[in-house]
Amino acid sequence: MSNKNMFMKSAFVRAPLQNGVGRYVCQLQRIVLKFCKSHGGSRGIRDFIEQDLVDFAKQNASVVVYLKPRRHRGPVLVAEYLNGDRVWMNVQNKTHSEITKWMEVLRTQQGDISGARLRKYQYTDYPSVQGPWTPFTFKDPELNVATLPDPKFGANNRLSISATEKLRLMFEKQAISEKDVKTGE
Amino acid sequence: MVFLTVANWIRARGPDEFWRKRRIFRLAAHYTGRRRNCYSVAVRNVHRALAYATKARKLKKEDMKVLWDTRITAACEQHNITAFSLREGLGRADIMLDRKSLSDLAAWEPKTFHCLAAVAKEKLNLDNFIDGTDKKEPTGINLNLKDVMLEAWLKEKK
Repeated sequence: MSNKNMFMKSAFVRAPLQNGVGRYVCQLQRIVLKFCKSHGGSRGIRDFIEQDLVDFAKQNASVVVYLKPRRHRGPVLVAEYLNGDRVWMNVQNKTHSEITKWMEVLRTQQGDISGARLRKYQYTDYPSVQGPWTPFTFKDPELNVATLPDPKFGANNRLSISATEKLRLMFEKQAISEKDVKTGE
Repeated sequence: MVFLTVANWIRARGPDEFWRKRRIFRLAAHYTGRRRNCYSVAVRNVHRALAYATKARKLKKEDMKVLWDTRITAACEQHNITAFSLREGLGRADIMLDRKSLSDLAAWEPKTFHCLAAVAKEKLNLDNFIDGTDKKEPTGINLNLKDVMLEAWLKEKK
């Protein structure tokens, strides 16, 4: 599909309201962990809840954590963000370590990122420190006060390589340098 | 007693024709004429568009590589070095910069790029490397490397 469809709009990487430049506010509002107490697919999330969930909740006091044990339902993480986005993630048959990593992703996201395609993975307001390249960056400053046509600036000095020069370079390339020669000392 | 699990066992039949065709029409909304309005015409064109999108992912990478190469070559020309020599010199000096970084530097930090070209030239001089390609000299100014301890830095063991 071309970029003209309405759906997958393209966006640049942005931190809304410069979040993180000064103060950082965790954008995750609440996270719901829905799991089954007995089914095998919920094993990873059950391990996570038993071992890592309390630490997660303590470290992120601004995030409300809900647990929903539901029979005969697949395990699911639902994250809600301060901008109103809702991210639904199926964690059926995921291991404990995978779920820990996904929780970290959800915690550090700003919202639902699947709405737009990122054009570039970097963003900066100041792309150049030295000043961007212009055609006059490496030109002789005397051009500013010269009246063209000028014999100095119009000289034909960008000639192609001559046959003599080519032969000389070929000779030098195949020449054996002194340190490669083994002498009987 | 509340039976909540029973609802999970109900199977739903697939969506009917209107919705199946709507999926195609939404992707063809910006086409002209019958390609936007008639299903049998639209579906052929939508499938081609999707196939093009698949193939273009690889082509985009190739296009970007060519663009970067063009920019690096253009920047090198201003500094009396060929792109090949630049890559060789930077590689021998253990400066691992890829095409994207080099082209970004050439466009946004021209002085840094000039210094990189000078480093590459100096390294190739120390290694007695001869580049036989036609540089069409002279175009640029060679940097004044007197006060810079470049030789010492290039010769130290890493």
